[in-house]
Amino acid sequence: MTGLRELQQAFGESLRSEQAMQLAPWICADGIPGMRRVQIYRNNHATSLTEALRAAYPVVEKLVSEGFFRFAAHRYTRKFPSTEGNLHGFGRDFARFLGQFPPAKDHRYLPDVARLEWARHEVYHAGGHAPMAPQSLAAVDPAAYESLRFTIHPARRLLRSPYPVVRIWEVNQPDWKAGQTVDLSASGDRVLVLRTQGQIEFHRLAPAEYRFLDTLSAGCTLGRAAEAALAREPDFDLNRSLVKHVQNHTLVGFALA
Amino acid sequence: MTARCEQFAVRSIPARAGIGLRSEHYQAVIANRPQVGFFEVHSENYFGSGGVPHRYLETIRADYPLSFHGVGMSLGSVDPLSTAHTRRLKQLVDYYQPDLISEHLSWSSVGGTFFNDLLPLPYTPEALHHVVDRVRQIQDRLQREILVENVSSYLQYTHSTIPEWEFVNEVALQSGCGILLDVNNIFVNATNHNFDAQTYLAGVSPQLVKEIHLAGHTVNEFEDGSILIDTHDQLVCDEVWSLYRGAVSRFGPKPTLIEWDTDLPELTVLLEEANKAQAVLEAAHDRVA
Repeated sequence: MTGLRELQQAFGESLRSEQAMQLAPWICADGIPGMRRVQIYRNNHATSLTEALRAAYPVVEKLVSEGFFRFAAHRYTRKFPSTEGNLHGFGRDFARFLGQFPPAKDHRYLPDVARLEWARHEVYHAGGHAPMAPQSLAAVDPAAYESLRFTIHPARRLLRSPYPVVRIWEVNQPDWKAGQTVDLSASGDRVLVLRTQGQIEFHRLAPAEYRFLDTLSAGCTLGRAAEAALAREPDFDLNRSLVKHVQNHTLVGFALA
Repeated sequence: MTARCEQFAVRSIPARAGIGLRSEHYQAVIANRPQVGFFEVHSENYFGSGGVPHRYLETIRADYPLSFHGVGMSLGSVDPLSTAHTRRLKQLVDYYQPDLISEHLSWSSVGGTFFNDLLPLPYTPEALHHVVDRVRQIQDRLQREILVENVSSYLQYTHSTIPEWEFVNEVALQSGCGILLDVNNIFVNATNHNFDAQTYLAGVSPQLVKEIHLAGHTVNEFEDGSILIDTHDQLVCDEVWSLYRGAVSRFGPKPTLIEWDTDLPELTVLLEEANKAQAVLEAAHDRVA
């Protein structure tokens, strides 16, 4: 398969670099030069991947403008090429990329806004899970509570930022009517991203509550999570938090350690 | 989503006009239940484990014939076929039991990098042999017949020796798959590469054609000529409608899809285009009757 392999390799090089000329002898010139024809494919390739990022990161695009976003998307594609025929996972490194992208350094909050949008994207496509049976926790011997480990619903993500990212996201929605100002010195956000009835929601959490869920989702026991939350906030109401997150289907199962 | 859903079963897709289902139209489709012959989805849009897209597709699948159209298999690539990709597609096929499954006769990856675009194959005996083998592998893995679609192209290779229509026809004959004939792509290529679209239609065996695609394209002007680009962002043009009528008289009425991917208009615009195709199909049914 030498001919086809060589051709595809040369074509791939030409898509990655405008300087690559290995493909030129393989292309009929008729009228329009061969490399101009290849440029159409370069554009299509860039557009296809940029569109995938735009779909996942509309607020990042709005914050930096369309031209800047296209430039960033192009650089990102070079650094993190697509490795699959389906594009669901293609933007997974975009937040990290933006954090190290010098032209974006004045937008300090941008990587966290990207993280929030990626959490939304993942939650949108995540699988479902049956809720926990209402009485199942009550049947557990109280002495065993401490060593319970919980299953988190697949369509849940936790995220924290020193910036008010939820407010930034909200004021950049197309149907947002109120004021556009965001006080960047306002306290940061701890967020639970969840899907209910097909809608994605952001729930802001108190510091201890966030630490509680974050510890549980790391696979630690209820005892360990309670300890972590109480260390953050001595009057943390463990029972209230537990009931709340069973009721909103964030905690959907448990096992005795 | 690994088992078969009892409520879904493969049916024979009717020779009627259908439209591409895009997420922007989910709610309008559910609310209005439009009269269309079938819906077609990009299979990859449902590669996620669940969530919102599957919620809508399950509802829509319960009431309409469904076609799965792949854009990411990289059928003609020399890289090994992605096991993860075909495995996920097989799960979705087993679950939704789509009435048709199709892929593009092109390639999109090399050396593990995906360009996520439909790149042209050279029309050589080597490429033909390769693609026939790949179609057989895919059909084996899915345990279903697939259709391969002719793509638009903006260049020709100096070493191609087989006319495109003969290549498409031979892939189907030798591998045992069907053909999804994109009439807009034939028009685009006939213009870009200066051949007669009628010759193309005459070169395809009628019994192999199982579906037809229609879409809009854009003219890109350069100082030394123009190239048609398959953009799927506007109405089907008069020349393509005329070519479609010719295709329907040659191949008989076939399920026909209106494709629209970029600058998506309201659902009603797609339905009006589908009605135009439906009228051509009904006229052909009348002739057959």
